[in-house]
Amino acid sequence: MKILCLIRQVPDAEARVKAKNGLVDLEGATLALDGMDEYGVEQALRINTDGANTVAVALGGARFEDAIRRALAMGLERAIHVESSEHLDVVTQAKILAKIVQEEQPDLVFCGGQHADSDSQALGAALAEALNWNQITWTTALEIENSSVKATHDVDDGKEQLELELPLVITTQQGLNEPRYPTLPNIMKAKKKEIRKASLADYGVAGGKVRVVKQEIQDKQRLNKLIDGKDPTAAAEELIKLLHVEAKVI
Amino acid sequence: MIAERPESVTSKKGGMFLISQTPPDQTHTPEDFSSDVKDIYQAVDEFVKTRVMPNMETLEAHDNALLKQILHECGDQGFFQVEVPEAYGGLDMSKTTATYVGEALAQAGGFAVAFGAHASIGMLPLVYFGSDALKAKYLEAMAAGKLIGAYCLSEPGSGSDAQAAKTRAVPSEDGSSYTISGTKMWISNGGIADIYTVFCQVMTPQGTKFSAFLIERNFPGVSTGKEEHKLGIKLSSTTQLILEDVVVPSENLLGEVGWGAKIAFNILNIGRYKLGSGGVGGSKAVLNASTKYAKERTSFGQPIANFGAIQEKLAEMCLEIYAAESLTYRVTGMIDEIADHAKSASEKLKAIETYRVEASIVKVYGTEVLAYCTDQAVQVFGGYGFSEEYPVARAYRDARINRIFEGTNEINRMIIPGELLKMGMKGEIPLMQAAQKLQAEMLEPSFSDDTDDAPLAAETRVVEGLKKAALQVAGLAALKFSNKLGEQQEILARVADIIISSFAGESALLRTQKMMASGKNADTQIAMTQVLVHDLAEKCAVWGREALSSFTEGDDLRLNLAAMKRLTKHDSVNVVALRRQIAAAVIEADGYLN
Repeated sequence: MKILCLIRQVPDAEARVKAKNGLVDLEGATLALDGMDEYGVEQALRINTDGANTVAVALGGARFEDAIRRALAMGLERAIHVESSEHLDVVTQAKILAKIVQEEQPDLVFCGGQHADSDSQALGAALAEALNWNQITWTTALEIENSSVKATHDVDDGKEQLELELPLVITTQQGLNEPRYPTLPNIMKAKKKEIRKASLADYGVAGGKVRVVKQEIQDKQRLNKLIDGKDPTAAAEELIKLLHVEAKVI
Repeated sequence: MIAERPESVTSKKGGMFLISQTPPDQTHTPEDFSSDVKDIYQAVDEFVKTRVMPNMETLEAHDNALLKQILHECGDQGFFQVEVPEAYGGLDMSKTTATYVGEALAQAGGFAVAFGAHASIGMLPLVYFGSDALKAKYLEAMAAGKLIGAYCLSEPGSGSDAQAAKTRAVPSEDGSSYTISGTKMWISNGGIADIYTVFCQVMTPQGTKFSAFLIERNFPGVSTGKEEHKLGIKLSSTTQLILEDVVVPSENLLGEVGWGAKIAFNILNIGRYKLGSGGVGGSKAVLNASTKYAKERTSFGQPIANFGAIQEKLAEMCLEIYAAESLTYRVTGMIDEIADHAKSASEKLKAIETYRVEASIVKVYGTEVLAYCTDQAVQVFGGYGFSEEYPVARAYRDARINRIFEGTNEINRMIIPGELLKMGMKGEIPLMQAAQKLQAEMLEPSFSDDTDDAPLAAETRVVEGLKKAALQVAGLAALKFSNKLGEQQEILARVADIIISSFAGESALLRTQKMMASGKNADTQIAMTQVLVHDLAEKCAVWGREALSSFTEGDDLRLNLAAMKRLTKHDSVNVVALRRQIAAAVIEADGYLN
């Protein structure tokens, strides 16, 4: 089976992100492969355990290469990197990615359920739409037999089980698997794996449909309230009071 | 002044730093790390942060089963393959890589000890001294983390004097085996290891010969003592190894009978420069924690990071780490320059051996920076620093052992001038010529006034002066005490401190100059170098005076002190303002400046 894994690079959970000239400036921030995409990479490697016929596909700036190498170090066979640092809306992204899917003819495409940076959940759906394929969203379990896929996915009220035929777009959810760490030998091997570079022009796209006007960083100032824990009951009461009355979160 | 660029640049030999100048473009710095080095560091760092740190409390309570499991996982990740030859399933990477990995491990204190007790001192005796047959027997399994190793040198009655070990190995009549009995002490990984590198006295007709064997835990007669109740590195298992008439096949002898000292000291050299990066990694972790805390903790209505007394600590920690980092990777780079071209394990070992003095310098400086930074971190945290609920208390406890193991810092201070003098006597390096030249120079009325005021030109002059100050004291002491110099430990320690200071100052200086030449903004690094060199010169002046006053008097003393004053001459710099500048950068970066 041939599998494509869409991957993105996002600021690391601990990264310090700044805004400069009204836009988010990632210069100097620690970036990482999006954790939701990592579930897709891991699942692809559990299906094709030797990594054969697994392709990472990335659409983003030059620094995306680090995330691509990470996916290759985890075990994917090769990668395609459409290099562009322009802001592209999800529909335009899906249009480009759909063309790659048509070139590569995979049976299955994994896509992260939600982007760690923008919180968008639309890419998988937009790609399925562009391809006119079925999709399974928020997938937490997966079983494939011949061309039939049995999946469990999260819905608002709980879980739902589905059975669909390939080809499919599958978006991931936490719990699908526990992604592996790349081993040192595989990190070294990944440096030699193929990354095919392409440009937006190769896919007949000049730019996105959405223009970003301004971005701001939400500034969260800590209050640094310390509660004396000598009397646990009093401490718990104080904590509840602070959360309920002051922070109004419970 | 030493203006000429001597032959040293091409003669890659240990100790040459003291009597030559290295051009900045020929030094090795973390800024030069390849992507391989960084990627491997990141892999280990990520593993430590996700697998070790969250389990710290359980591991510190001696959950040895979990510790062993995590070490097995490290094996699965290929972490133990870094220094193993490719023929035995290894990656055979640079010493810089292996050393930088130590930084990632250091944040986890005792885990770095458990890791190093296997991957470094546990496995490397086999890598460098094992026969092909012995490597075939054990190495692949050790590199894969399936067999965990330990290094057993100390005994209840011998530590720094390792060769006074009493454990005995009696050869069988047919030569097929040795029967070994004795007790080894302070064995890191003692309780979890599968295979022990044991140093002992082989009984031969010519007397006892200090040697080393690989001994499996499951050989009959092998047992381990109870877990030691330690001050720090509680995560690591430390026990005695008790050997009662253990029959060990002769093939498990490392190298040849009588190679014990050679094996022990070469492996210790490796452990020594790795402790430098351990010091750097551990210090960075506490500086980062202290900076974060200082920004969050308010006192008198404002974050304590606003106060000069706290800023000064953050700045000093940062610049000391910068110096330790600069000298550690300068040395590993020097080793790699030779080792990367080595055709065999023994050639690689020679590259390490030639830099044994530098390895001792790295050990002393790195571990003392760690002691300083962990102590200051507790202070920044105030009362919370004294609580085990906060991360710096463990770091403080864990740091303490570093000045003791791999040769106490006192032993290493004896090694530094001792080995340099030996190298000079043997003519390996032109130390005596340099000392004679200096004596002649000292008789001249004054130094030529160098008025170059380019950035760091003054610091370059100071560092060259400190090297000469070391030569001056060492040379005069050698003349005075001749072959009894070894008994003058207080003088030797001061000479060592001046040598260490000159190397630390020079390493930071060269790195900053290289950074400036690359066009990178090095404002903070320049400030750190200025404060560092200034303070080192102040300290060296004191050490120099104390040493000279201890063995010369009258007119000789006056002359020698005047020379020392000239050699440690340095301008006043505004260290208060410079430290504020450094602290501002640390606070902005949330910790160490990467």
